[in-house]
Amino acid sequence: MDDHNELLSDKGIQIVKDLLAAVETGELAKAQEYVDELAEIRESELYQEIGKLTRELHESINTFGCDERLTDLAEDEIPDARQRLAHVITMTDEAANNTLTAVEESMPLCDKVLSATRDLESGWKKFSNRELTITEFKELNTDLKKYFENNTNSATKINEHLNNVLMAQGFQDLTSQIIKRVISLVEEVETSMVNIIQLAGSKSSKEAKPDSKDSSNLDGPVVPGLEANSTVSGQDEVDDLLSSLGF
Amino acid sequence: MAIDKKMKILIVDDFSTMRRIIKNLLRDLGFTNTEEADDGTTALPMLQTGKFDFLVTDWNMPGMQGIDLLKNVRADEKLSSMPVLMVTAEQKREQIVEAAQAGVNGYIVKPFTAQTLKEKLDKIFERIDG
Repeated sequence: MDDHNELLSDKGIQIVKDLLAAVETGELAKAQEYVDELAEIRESELYQEIGKLTRELHESINTFGCDERLTDLAEDEIPDARQRLAHVITMTDEAANNTLTAVEESMPLCDKVLSATRDLESGWKKFSNRELTITEFKELNTDLKKYFENNTNSATKINEHLNNVLMAQGFQDLTSQIIKRVISLVEEVETSMVNIIQLAGSKSSKEAKPDSKDSSNLDGPVVPGLEANSTVSGQDEVDDLLSSLGF
Repeated sequence: MAIDKKMKILIVDDFSTMRRIIKNLLRDLGFTNTEEADDGTTALPMLQTGKFDFLVTDWNMPGMQGIDLLKNVRADEKLSSMPVLMVTAEQKREQIVEAAQAGVNGYIVKPFTAQTLKEKLDKIFERIDG
């Protein structure tokens, strides 16, 4: 029972008793007065209820419209996140290119060292077997001198390139920091969206929606833990699938 | 079994870093005669000059995608027998089947290793010779 029901308060009960007495004694005018009084109590309750609902509605509208956090997210942080992610692309691109350049410049140096070593090796074998003439020995001596010089140069340069490869890996630290921030932003947006949906009172129906994805829309790299069942998980499965097709 | 290392190879990928990686791996395998294109639209006219012997292509690219480039190559009388190796991040079964039906000669998923590239190339040439 409703505690706030004034009809059941002492006042209400008294009015009902008086009403009954008036009816019994046939004082109709008085009875009418008591009925009006009861109606008044009933109406004032209805107004109170409407007032309460109006206040709740007002508060809801206020939270909905004036959630500054939500405005911030939409106006500043999402565009900001977009820029951050674009920066991640730039950084990974730079790192990859710097690394590739270092590798491309190191490879010919290694080849040079290798071929010079092979050339010397045959001369050295002849020398060990005492098959060298004195002129040939002098040549070998000059070649050796050149070899030492060139190798020092090559090794110094390769060292430099390796250092560049090392430095280029700094992108990992920086990009993961940025990506972590974007992930927490996405989480916040998700929470806000859920709140809005709850406020709007609509059910979030997750199931039974047809896949609206265009089939020509390519999925790109498989992300571990997110892959659909229709994807293969690596080169071995690709090979199996192709060989099952007669490849 | 004699693979002509001087054959001209076109590498098609929208990411320059991936093109560089493939180019370097191929060079390491002895294939030094390579050129690059950043999508199917630029690749197709290059192929139609008739200078190329082999095509390595990505799938997902702006402009013309790799699968369409493959279909165009197969539909072109002069290019139809060119070996095509697909190197892509697309791992959906239906896509792999689609590529196979379009006449791809090899399919490598990214990320891949130098060893995988070598194996697939060897396999393709083995079949061509055999």
